[in-house]
Amino acid sequence: MKIVHRIHLSYAVNIALIFIVGFLSLQAFNELMMKFHFMEIADSLNTAFLEMRIAEKNYLLYSDKEALNSICTRITETMPALAEERENIEQVTGGNDYNRLVQLLADYRGNVRALIDGHGDETKVRDSGHALRTFSENIIKMERDKVAALIERSKSILWLAFLAVLGFALFFAQWNASSIRRSLEQIVELTHAIAKGDFSRPAKKPSPDELGAVVQAISTMSEELNLREEEMIRSKRLASIGVLVAGVAHELNNPLNNISMIAQTFAELHDKLGSDQQLEFINQIDEETERLRYTIRNLLDFAKPKEKQIASHDLNEVAQKCLGLVHNMLTIGNVRTKLNFDEQMPQLCLDEHQIQQVLVNMMINAIQAMQPGGALTVTTRFLPELERAEIEVSDTGKGIPPRQLEYIFDPFFTTKEEGGTGLGLWVSYGIIKNHGGDIRVQSAIDEGTTFTIMLPLNLDKCVRRSDSNAEQHHDH
Amino acid sequence: MQSSIMIIDDERIVGDMAKLSLSQEGYDVETFLDGESALKRLEEKTFQVVVTDLKMKGVDGLEVLRIVKEKYPQTVVIMITAFANLDVAIEALRDDVFDFFPKPVKIKELKASIRRALAGEEAGGAA
Repeated sequence: MKIVHRIHLSYAVNIALIFIVGFLSLQAFNELMMKFHFMEIADSLNTAFLEMRIAEKNYLLYSDKEALNSICTRITETMPALAEERENIEQVTGGNDYNRLVQLLADYRGNVRALIDGHGDETKVRDSGHALRTFSENIIKMERDKVAALIERSKSILWLAFLAVLGFALFFAQWNASSIRRSLEQIVELTHAIAKGDFSRPAKKPSPDELGAVVQAISTMSEELNLREEEMIRSKRLASIGVLVAGVAHELNNPLNNISMIAQTFAELHDKLGSDQQLEFINQIDEETERLRYTIRNLLDFAKPKEKQIASHDLNEVAQKCLGLVHNMLTIGNVRTKLNFDEQMPQLCLDEHQIQQVLVNMMINAIQAMQPGGALTVTTRFLPELERAEIEVSDTGKGIPPRQLEYIFDPFFTTKEEGGTGLGLWVSYGIIKNHGGDIRVQSAIDEGTTFTIMLPLNLDKCVRRSDSNAEQHHDH
Repeated sequence: MQSSIMIIDDERIVGDMAKLSLSQEGYDVETFLDGESALKRLEEKTFQVVVTDLKMKGVDGLEVLRIVKEKYPQTVVIMITAFANLDVAIEALRDDVFDFFPKPVKIKELKASIRRALAGEEAGGAA
């Protein structure tokens, strides 16, 4: 169910609860109003009955005939008032009680009249008066109890309603929160996976709500990224092969051209050349052939994957050793060094020689890019939440133009005026990729360049791989 | 008048062999291993043809071409390069260079090209 629908549902349920409670309270209130009205009537009747009984006592004590007359007058006055309120009384107490009351009143009047007429019985008057008063007091007492019960019931209903609304709100909040939390956790998991380059689909099915749609969108994006990355790698590889082939062609064409030109010149001028000159030509051809062989061997060396000597090493120590190797260059170039080593750095599984090759290469590049007085900064970072370690080599040099930045890892690409083979970063990239890592580069013109090497925290693989190496060695 | 030809290539053998061969045709040939010294020499002496390599450290073939076209418009430039596959660059240079040779260079073709260049220059000079 979508979150918005759940919120609407919770609103609807709460509003329904409030309506029910309101309706019940209103009903109780109406009933109470009716009861109170009846109590007023009953009170005034009771007062009237009390006055009658006082008059009755006056007659019995002082034989005051006037008192009997006043009783009759009161009864006659009360009768219409009683009839007027008949409906109200019947609603509250029921028709039987009303009839009984009227009957008792009529009996009482009959007995009083008989006494006035002189043939009555005092005892009958007293009994019927007493019966009237007892009955009316009983009704009032019963109604009072009912009112108290009603108030009690209303109170309970309000409490129950309050608890129901509260419970419902809590339930909905919990329901929403837990499903939102689940989806958010999934999103975090997914984005972490993408950050680590894992583009596989999430194992759990996304929830059918809005956040589920977000999870779905991220998942689709991840798949797209995966496709694009493969595409990019493929096209980059093709471009690299193009650059490689062009570079190789250039490196091979020069000595080939030399040999060819020597041969052509020899063919044209052989009868005019002295034997010394002829020998020089042949030697030159041999030298150029040697040059070709050297280029080809170098190329094969770079292309051939070397067997890794993986062991656990301290990255900070490796970096320190590399700085030792370029110490002379630093001194000559008047370059300062700044070290920010992360002391929490755990042991990493790597081929020390290869990583040294990469770091020294980057340090030399950095030193060569800087004017005297520049600073070489080496930073290591332990990033357990990203499950990787990083080492950064930064310079304050001239920077790499953005147009060239995407080619710097291509073979035979060099920005150096002299002595650059254009193979250093290409080989470095291969080594780091082979370690399951990655290299990133940031550069700003006249501000400097930063190379970041990311290596996975893979100590468990280290153990396994060195085991399998040991087995291989054993086999040999 | 003896025609003067300048060869610029950081591969020493290219200059040596071209000089040996071209001298047989009666040309006055001078060779240079880099752009800087060649440009310096151009300030002192007029060359009818400059044969230059494209990719060189420092002042490269394009720079030489630009300066020759600017300062010595009578001089013909022939470009050679070890980059075999530079169709776009070659196309871009078509108008400015007299000819373009990928390495390995056929010396006979280079000679023929120089001959055409000199004939064209003389024809242009006579007109």
